[in-house]
Amino acid sequence: MRISTYWHYQQSVATMLSQESALAQTQNQVSTGKSINVASDNPTGAAQVVSIDHTLAQNDSYTSGINAANTRLSTETSTLSSVTNLLDRAQSLALSAMDGSMSAQNRASIAGNLVQVRNQLLQYANTTDSNGNALFAGTSNDKVPFVQNADGSVSYQGNTAQQMALIGNGLQIPTGDAGSAVFMDIPAGNGSFVASAGSANTGTLVVGSNSVTDPTAWKSAESAAGGQFTISFDASGNWSVTDASGNPVNDTSGNPIGGTYSSNTGSISFDGMSIGLSGTPAAGDTVTVQANQKQDIFGTLNQMINALQGAGGSTSDTQLTNTMNRQLESLDQALGTINNVQVQVGGRINELNQQSTAYSSLGVTYQSALSSVQNVDAYSAISNLSLQSAALQASQQTFAAVKSLSLFNYLN
Amino acid sequence: MSNMLAIGTSGLNAAQLALNTISNNISNASTPGYSRESTVQVEQVGATTGNLTIGGGVNVTAVQRAYNQFLSTAMWSSNSGLQGATTYNDLATTLNSTLSSSGNLQTSLDNFYTSFSTLAGSADSGSNRQAVLGSASSLVANFNTLAQQFQQQQGSINTQVAQTVDSINTTAASIARLNQQIVQAGAGGSAANALLDQRDTLVNTLSGYLGVSTSFNTDGSINVFTNSGQSLVSGSNAYAMSTGANAYNATTTDVMDNTGTDITGKLSGGTLGALLTYRSNVLVPAQNQLGLAAVGLASSVNAQQAQGLDLNGQQGGAMFSVPEPGVSASAANQGTATVGASISDPSALTGSDYVLSYNGSQWKLATSAGQSVALTTNPNGTLSAAGLTFNVSGTAQAGDSYKIEPTRNAASGISLSMTDPNGIAAAAALTANPASGNTGSAALASIKVTDSTNPNLLSGATVSFPTAGSYQVTNSSGTVLASGSYGSGQAIGANGWSLTLTGTPAAGDSFAVAANTAGLADNSNALSLAALSNQGVLNGGKTSIIDAYANLTTQIGDAGSQAQSDLTVQTALNNQAVSSQQSVAGVNLDQEASNMVQYQQAYQAAAHIISTAQALFSSLLSAIGA
Repeated sequence: MRISTYWHYQQSVATMLSQESALAQTQNQVSTGKSINVASDNPTGAAQVVSIDHTLAQNDSYTSGINAANTRLSTETSTLSSVTNLLDRAQSLALSAMDGSMSAQNRASIAGNLVQVRNQLLQYANTTDSNGNALFAGTSNDKVPFVQNADGSVSYQGNTAQQMALIGNGLQIPTGDAGSAVFMDIPAGNGSFVASAGSANTGTLVVGSNSVTDPTAWKSAESAAGGQFTISFDASGNWSVTDASGNPVNDTSGNPIGGTYSSNTGSISFDGMSIGLSGTPAAGDTVTVQANQKQDIFGTLNQMINALQGAGGSTSDTQLTNTMNRQLESLDQALGTINNVQVQVGGRINELNQQSTAYSSLGVTYQSALSSVQNVDAYSAISNLSLQSAALQASQQTFAAVKSLSLFNYLN
Repeated sequence: MSNMLAIGTSGLNAAQLALNTISNNISNASTPGYSRESTVQVEQVGATTGNLTIGGGVNVTAVQRAYNQFLSTAMWSSNSGLQGATTYNDLATTLNSTLSSSGNLQTSLDNFYTSFSTLAGSADSGSNRQAVLGSASSLVANFNTLAQQFQQQQGSINTQVAQTVDSINTTAASIARLNQQIVQAGAGGSAANALLDQRDTLVNTLSGYLGVSTSFNTDGSINVFTNSGQSLVSGSNAYAMSTGANAYNATTTDVMDNTGTDITGKLSGGTLGALLTYRSNVLVPAQNQLGLAAVGLASSVNAQQAQGLDLNGQQGGAMFSVPEPGVSASAANQGTATVGASISDPSALTGSDYVLSYNGSQWKLATSAGQSVALTTNPNGTLSAAGLTFNVSGTAQAGDSYKIEPTRNAASGISLSMTDPNGIAAAAALTANPASGNTGSAALASIKVTDSTNPNLLSGATVSFPTAGSYQVTNSSGTVLASGSYGSGQAIGANGWSLTLTGTPAAGDSFAVAANTAGLADNSNALSLAALSNQGVLNGGKTSIIDAYANLTTQIGDAGSQAQSDLTVQTALNNQAVSSQQSVAGVNLDQEASNMVQYQQAYQAAAHIISTAQALFSSLLSAIGA
């Protein structure tokens, strides 16, 4: 084929230009370390980079959600430990106050200790997190959650909702517990019912430990009776039972439930419950059994305090024992409730840690996926670079060699 | 001897002419479009002397240019391809670097969604709220910047279209003028090699601007047509094209033929073809896709906002505003109808533009590519299709049409309409509290907003259970809003909310549903806003905003990489075509050098003939003289 001298030069130059541009691109890859500098370098890869970057950003976001949740939950768990310690102290104070050898003065000073316990508990209940938000206010933000009233009782002003944190795609975890569930809505008595001696009792009857022994029988009897039983004693210790409406409670055979109590029998049982008793009832004394009662921790402490402060005066020893027995039961329930919350919080912290570990190992996986899509393989890029520069050099050398070839050189 | 002198002179002349031609070839060796020329020598018929006929020397009959019409035509058409591919590649490369240098939308989007997660950590923190607005504002800026870059490219394409059409007109006029000169020169008998070369060069230039076809007239003139048959040059006449505004959109420059008919859709090849194809196949879809992401973002965030309560205890207001779909009436419309368009379902939107036209009895909708789309007539008289609702008023005439651009300007027009950080609706809108006397085990599982536009959404209601198996919802004035039988886990709805309970209610239990104004530190709506980052909001709920951006990246990247490979192919094709053409028409200096030697020797030999003739003549004279 005939070669046009002009076109031959043009093409040699064009070849060198395109080699130079390829070389520049490789050089750019080596210097940025990326094989995708603009989307057209690898369109599907560029979209992958977007989605991997997004996943990494999500991981970061979830991880910081986890960290925030962890901080809040750690504050909660340490606060709850302090509360447990405080309640343990209240329990031992109450038990010591029931010692028969205690003087009224001693009891009054124990009551003073319990007032301190109550005040400190109030402070714990109003603990704030690192952002200054109350830990136990639910999702309310405008009021202090626990406020003490003039009579010493405490009102909850928060709501019952839980704060959540987003720790995964569609995965939320509570980062707190509403104060109502921790301090307020605590089952009274043994958790199922409260058996309390009538306030007008004149005998020495003391209600001791009591429990549900047959949950099925208890449940059906409880709803049939409207949630309340009243046990009445006559002078010879015979007892009978009436329900919330004052009607006698019958057994399964239709006969009125009843029996005879003496201080030797120690307890009376019916309808799946067993009530421990001691002392002797006077005629007309009653024991009331109320189902599903709730009592807040502060109320429990206040009742103890009131009973102890009244000891030796308005409160008889029997009344004191009865009150303290009931409130100790409630204190047990409070401890149980707080313990439950602690277990839940621990479970959440555990889940957070697991998620966090998962995200950090996923992060490594995604980073390596990202780097395999986006980053240039340094070895191949550099060998490419030297290959391309060698080719360009060869083109330049051939051009130099060919340009000197002309017939005119040999004519004169 | 006189014969010999004449023959020798003819040889000298021929060699002289050949050497001149060779000199011209060498001088023009680097002239683009120059065709190598050579002399055509013919033996001169001599006089017959007796029975002998001796030739009368050499005659140069023509100076011919090396030329092959097929090769030239192939070169022209490959030049169309090459210039088109170059323009397309330049535009696509610009778009790709625009995309990578105008800030990363994915990062902005993730920062925006993450700011809601951070807000959820402390929903009433003023600094967290300010941070959400800050990231929202940089997200909006990112959309705007990218969209403006796209718009700038639209503007630069408009300018280039106008410039290219000008160049086409100038070139076509020059070709017509050269045609005329060639016809005149041809009539005078001399072959107008230089004029032909010039004209071929201009045709080559013209095919670089636009895909053309050519035909030759017997008088040597050439006719040039566009690929679709519009005449640009016919003999000595040139037909100028012109540019003007698109019938629907004054900001888009279209191309008209000399009668004023819009021929934009018919042009292909060359720079102009590439500009127009790129505009409709790459740039407009990219603008629409980006706009789609902006609409999706605004509608999903605004909808979620409306499902929550802001820090002022009000239902959350819109955070972003996007322009309504663009509606442009055709300049040719006769009727008085006005068409309004609004987005009714973002998840049904596509990246297409549409044309809404009236045929005298009914309205029709088609994509701008011509595919028809079924329109639904709504009870209130509006028309709906593809996530859009059209509101037509006034009277249309048959043939009237309107261009609908649902998302074209959404990305450039998206703005942050929220200025008060307290306006971020982080809290759930509603709360449901059990009455204190409830005896059943029913507890709240969830309360959700199902219709955020319900005017009574926050006005409160009481859900009560007259019996364990039935419910009723009453408002504050005692009006029963809903009632029915109740089964465990069943959702109860009224006033735009839906309530689900766990456990079993007892007869007489009730729940009070109210605005969550007592729970403004609640973060559940902030978490829902953060969760939008992975939520499909476009394309029937399958595509999240990030996905839409990833799709846009692929779309633009594909355009760029295809343009690159197309340019490589077209460059190779053009190289081949030019090499073939140059192998015929190009000047090879070695060949010219050897020819020069050849004709130099021919000249010297012819000179020897004359000197021999002179010697013969002298020897004859001296013989006679002696």
